[in-house]
Amino acid sequence: MAEEEKTEQVDETPEKGGNYIAQAWLILLLAVCFGASLTGVQISLGEKIQQNKLNETFSQIPNLVPGSDTGKGFEIDGKIIYRAMSGDAQVGWVVPATGQGFADKVEILIGLDTKADKLTGLYVLDQKETPGLGNKIVEEDWQMQYVDKPTASQIEVIKAGSPTVNQIMAVTGATISSVAVTDLVNKTVAEIKDKLASNAK
Amino acid sequence: MNRNEPTALERFINGILPENPVYRQLLGMCPTLAVTNSMEPAMTMAVAVAFVLLSANIIVSLIRHLLKPHLRILVFTLTIATFVTIADRILQAYMWDMSKQLGPYVPLIIVNCIIICRCEVCASKQKLGPAIMDALGQSLGFALALASVATVREILGSGTWFGLPVMPAVWPDWVIMVLPPGAFLTLGVLIGLVNWLQNKKKQTA
Amino acid sequence: MNENTDKVKTAEKVEKPVINPSIQVTVSPHLSNTAFTTQKMMIDVLIALVPLLAVAIWVFKWHVVVQVGISVLSCLAFEALFTSWRLKKITLGDYSAAVTGVILGLSLPSSVPWYVAFIGSMAAIGLGKIAFGGLGYNIFNPAMVGRAFVLFAFPMALGAAAYQVAGGMEVLTQATPLTLAKQLGQSTPLWALLIGNTNGSLGETSAIACILGGIYLCIKRTASWEIPVSAIAALIVFAGIGNLTNTSAEWTVLHHLVGGAFLFGAFFIATDPVTSPLTPKGKVIFGIGFAAVVMLIRAFSGYPEGVMFAVLLMNAVTPLINKWTIPVPFGGPVPVRK
Repeated sequence: MAEEEKTEQVDETPEKGGNYIAQAWLILLLAVCFGASLTGVQISLGEKIQQNKLNETFSQIPNLVPGSDTGKGFEIDGKIIYRAMSGDAQVGWVVPATGQGFADKVEILIGLDTKADKLTGLYVLDQKETPGLGNKIVEEDWQMQYVDKPTASQIEVIKAGSPTVNQIMAVTGATISSVAVTDLVNKTVAEIKDKLASNAK
Repeated sequence: MNRNEPTALERFINGILPENPVYRQLLGMCPTLAVTNSMEPAMTMAVAVAFVLLSANIIVSLIRHLLKPHLRILVFTLTIATFVTIADRILQAYMWDMSKQLGPYVPLIIVNCIIICRCEVCASKQKLGPAIMDALGQSLGFALALASVATVREILGSGTWFGLPVMPAVWPDWVIMVLPPGAFLTLGVLIGLVNWLQNKKKQTA
Repeated sequence: MNENTDKVKTAEKVEKPVINPSIQVTVSPHLSNTAFTTQKMMIDVLIALVPLLAVAIWVFKWHVVVQVGISVLSCLAFEALFTSWRLKKITLGDYSAAVTGVILGLSLPSSVPWYVAFIGSMAAIGLGKIAFGGLGYNIFNPAMVGRAFVLFAFPMALGAAAYQVAGGMEVLTQATPLTLAKQLGQSTPLWALLIGNTNGSLGETSAIACILGGIYLCIKRTASWEIPVSAIAALIVFAGIGNLTNTSAEWTVLHHLVGGAFLFGAFFIATDPVTSPLTPKGKVIFGIGFAAVVMLIRAFSGYPEGVMFAVLLMNAVTPLINKWTIPVPFGGPVPVRK
């Protein structure tokens, strides 16, 4: 049955004419209609989606920098960085960073005080580490270890014992994930520390 | 018209098990494997596919007389892509977390073979009524298939179902079941089970 | 299904010459000597495992009895259950399920909860063997399939950190020698690695026991000597290269050889006749590849040990190795290369 239909319709569109536009009128018409409807969808939803994206970072800012209630985007060397604001006064910085974890990319937010002297918080936005081991880096107890670490020296990861001022405990059985996050913090902070301090308001 | 053509109701029922898109036609494997580590993303995916499939079937069925054979796939793809984009934007706007969790698999509905297959074999040749029933049946079949895989994986892998704890607290989570290998193993075992049941039915009948 | 049978029927109708080979090849293990049976081979393997079990009991005490006991019993039970589901004759008498159980049990850490051995046995027999069609049809070594399954299912119970158990036996308070070497750069004395007085998977700790059992297997021809010999030679070369690039390392070629599960894997797991190549040349390639993957994983991955992955990966390429190394039949036509 399908073949009958095909042959019928092929006859309707002889190749010799070669008028591709005429053959494709349906597609062009559909494309215009669909394009218009997509524009409509984009206009009605675009703003909300943008807001969702921002909210994801903004909702974390008060947790990452104590005393702040909102954030303001800011660009340094093509990277978006957020000022953590309390009213009109700046109380700190929130720096997004992405690096290689054990399984896949890890996306984190780092909270710093205004002079970028010490860390005020850490939050893992996205990760795909091993469930049950590496993915414990999303737990608040583990992330709280980074609070108040001075940025003057690198943070080290230890597996046993009691951590000193610039050390944190690794997640048990997931040293690599812990080191990955810590290295990412160290690297990002070292790169951006001076620029943040000079840009503080 | 062929007298053996299934009625609209038969099309609906066919989609559920006799011609289940996942278990009988082995189509749409990508979402079946990728988003079934728990019920919530699996069901969101099922709803998104149902929306796209239903809309695409309606449009294609309405314009079936205008289709030129050598351009039909282009029309199908265009239609599907439009509705997938709409579904993706709606998810991003109203279910941001879920949209992030599903990641690229929502845009990938565009290349989900179930939809283009139904457009080709059914909607482009049938009236609106049968096309709608076909889309509903296939969507339901797809949703049931995703639900079966996700149920096994979520209960064994996390001890929960729709996020609610269903296993005793001592239950050791089988982490492998929420990882990609768990998807392949579960799907393989379930397809085997469905085939076995089918054979048994044939033998007794 | 119906379509296929229809096609076959039409093919018969036109009377195409159907070639019926007069010699048929049964599934592996292929035995060249009629005195060999699967059962005898498996009993040989069990005898060869005795020294390993003895050392394991000496080092880990009752842990061994528990783990190996659970995995052997559950392997036998699942074998009986799954074969009966397939309406096949239950073949516990060939002892292959028992061997799978012992090897699986010996490849686990001492501290794992009981369900790990149980679920590992289910995966080993169900996914590793029966799903492929039973003994002889399986592509992957069942015991390693089972271990891989539980490794990913319960990373907490089997990861490198799980070997270290505070309290209890002294040997368990240390990390395994490979983990120590990898993460802290600490070496373990060769003597301890030889006699097996270290932490690790139950059966892997003693190099001497592995070699004793392995030599017995090779003498009895149950295991082909080509695989362990080529694997050991290749490991010495690869580890030697590693040593030359870092001459100050305390973890030397000899440590690589006798530490970890390498010898256990080379003699007992890689030599599984079903999942290793058939020809001597193929066996040598298999052994070299096995050693190469072990060394790659030990040197560059997040895991301290790679024997399990090496066996599974080499199992996967075994059909390819077989195809490469098929000998020209004597007096037969020389195959034309396309």
